[in-house]
Amino acid sequence: MMKFRLFFKILLYFLFLFNSNGVLSNDKLDDKIKKLTLELRCMTCQNQSIYDSDSEFAQDIKNIIKEKIKEGLSEKEIKFFLTERYGEYILFKPYFSIKNLLLWLFPFILLVFSIGFFIKSSKKN
Amino acid sequence: MISLIGFLSLCLSTFFSFLILLPKSIININVKYLFLFLKTSTFLICISFLSLVIAYINSDFSNFNVFQNSHSEKPLIYKISGTWGNHEGSILLWLCMISIYGFLYSLTSRSLDNFKINVIKIQNAIFLIFAFFIIFTSNPFLVNTVEVKEGLGLNPILQDPALAIHPPMLYLGYVGFSLVFSLGVASLLNNNDNKSWIAETKKWSIISWTFLTSGIALGSYWAYYELGWGGWWFWDPVENISLMPWIVGLALVHSLIMIRGEQAIERWIVFLSILCFSLSVLGTFLVRSGILTSVHSFASDASRGLFILLIFFLTTGFGFLVFLIKSPTKKNNLNLLLINKTSALIINNILMIIAMLTILLGTIYPIIIEVLTNTRISVGGPYFNSTVLPILLPGFLLMSIAPVLSWQSNKIKKFKVYVLFFLILSCLVSIYSYFTNFNIWGFLGIILGLWIILASILSIILRYKFLISFSYLKSINSFIAHIGVGVMIIGITFSSVYQNEYSFNISLGDEINIDNNMLKLENIKIVEEKNYQSLKAAFSLTKKNEIIGHIFPAKNYYPVSKMITTEAGIYHDWLKDIYITLGNEENNIWSIKVYLNPLVSFIWIGVFIMVFSGFVAVFKK
Repeated sequence: MMKFRLFFKILLYFLFLFNSNGVLSNDKLDDKIKKLTLELRCMTCQNQSIYDSDSEFAQDIKNIIKEKIKEGLSEKEIKFFLTERYGEYILFKPYFSIKNLLLWLFPFILLVFSIGFFIKSSKKN
Repeated sequence: MISLIGFLSLCLSTFFSFLILLPKSIININVKYLFLFLKTSTFLICISFLSLVIAYINSDFSNFNVFQNSHSEKPLIYKISGTWGNHEGSILLWLCMISIYGFLYSLTSRSLDNFKINVIKIQNAIFLIFAFFIIFTSNPFLVNTVEVKEGLGLNPILQDPALAIHPPMLYLGYVGFSLVFSLGVASLLNNNDNKSWIAETKKWSIISWTFLTSGIALGSYWAYYELGWGGWWFWDPVENISLMPWIVGLALVHSLIMIRGEQAIERWIVFLSILCFSLSVLGTFLVRSGILTSVHSFASDASRGLFILLIFFLTTGFGFLVFLIKSPTKKNNLNLLLINKTSALIINNILMIIAMLTILLGTIYPIIIEVLTNTRISVGGPYFNSTVLPILLPGFLLMSIAPVLSWQSNKIKKFKVYVLFFLILSCLVSIYSYFTNFNIWGFLGIILGLWIILASILSIILRYKFLISFSYLKSINSFIAHIGVGVMIIGITFSSVYQNEYSFNISLGDEINIDNNMLKLENIKIVEEKNYQSLKAAFSLTKKNEIIGHIFPAKNYYPVSKMITTEAGIYHDWLKDIYITLGNEENNIWSIKVYLNPLVSFIWIGVFIMVFSGFVAVFKK
């Protein structure tokens, strides 16, 4: 029993580790650009990320991002700048906002509910 | 002429299928004749499909569909595959498969006649709906009103061996779930206690799931070398759509293992069977109606979309209505302990369903938002990676030990051995990641993949005596499938986390150093092929002054459709792929991109192992 509890604790620890960006903070410039451009849509292509695309639009965005990083802007600020310009459509990972509340909370709520359901029905036995 | 034969046999086949569906009160058909009608209907629809194939082979441009999607100068294989490379033809293939599945079921099933007839009737109802869909909105046998000598040609990116067999494989999966659906609904209508439908559902769902797996893998492999982005999964809407029935099918296959006479699980299985086919139809609707923007979109048409939506509501509505009306007669509780086999399987099912719902929501969310607020948003790879993967993670961890859990108690035999091995493995992987560049995803993926493989092998060794026989293979089959998943996870982790990308500008004769291999641009020339021109570069790959391989990235120009496709050149190695795409030229200097994809072959090996164990499982009782 104890072992399983420990096991789940470790699991939870890992899940938290994912959601913190702290692990990735000391990456180099190229990695930073890669990480950011992978999350942006090339608006002139069909469902391709800026990183993967060779189109002119993608090249422009890559250059903009490079400059902005050199200026010292954070990832969040760059994303904000780009969405001001091109709309939220450019983000492959939409903002956590009221409009997207359902999108982000739905999996989490489902998970919590089903864990609750599972514990309840296993206690019966 | 051939189109006429095709259309007539399509109509006749529909007619015979209609006869099967007539209720007993109108006309009392002898069971013998019922099966005869079924055979005739299947035979006729096959004739219909074959005549379309023949029209394509002969480049019969008096058929409008052939004229729009074929060209006389294509190689034979792409003339044949062109049949299902368009909306009308692919739906005819789909229809043909519905009928064949029903026919094969009637041949192999040993159920009671009553049950069998119910299954066949439901299957035929599905057939009929799709047949009407073809006749009224997507007829592939329309006559071309003008006389032409040449066709418009097939989309060049579809002219590829992997993509030629990708749709039939995929449809065998999707359509197979229609039979699973029929079985599920028929079991609800069944009034006696006969449980033969469970074994049959198991067999057919495994067959469908295996086909669907190989279909998805083929498409993914095609994307890997044809799209030239160095990736193989893009969370594209159409990919997501194929993934949803796949996940539910997987949940179904797993639930079928745990059935031990519990009504609750029987209900759950029927629910999954209905869901699986509903998702297949929903997927068809989303792809064919053109609602989603995707690389895979067919030419779309609003009336078709509406019709498929109608089909979706009909089948899903009917399925779930029967499901709700026929409530269970007796209730018995599941034997749930904190961690026994039943609970592990239930956790696995819950996680898969949540993952499926998340994918579904993410895929249609942009549409919902656009309708509601008139703003466009995208939901892509990063969203799915940060939601679906963490949801599946506990499932993967559970997978490694699940097959050795016991049904009755919450004890694991030889628990200490597993813990010991897990600790050793974690230490080794930690040391390894400490000395290479540490990445949390990489660390997790490696440990997960290796642990699944190790635990499965351990379980096989501890539980079964080694024998060289088919029954031994059958008894360790679930472990083999899980080893396949482990191998795949390792492949996915390495190829995505540890991928290296280089860009170069080089001219003829230049040499570049990549990971201790020398890559030399030998020549670039234009080659004339049957229906395209190819700009082919030849690279030689040398290691320690010895040539170990050649890589030929290319760009193909198809004059018929005036399109250029990129063909990545790939050097396959067991441990890595060297992947080159050719860019633009300026003053005899070529820009190229080189990707070093470690262990990408493991993904395909893993899928192959899963498909293999799927085929073995078909023979398992």
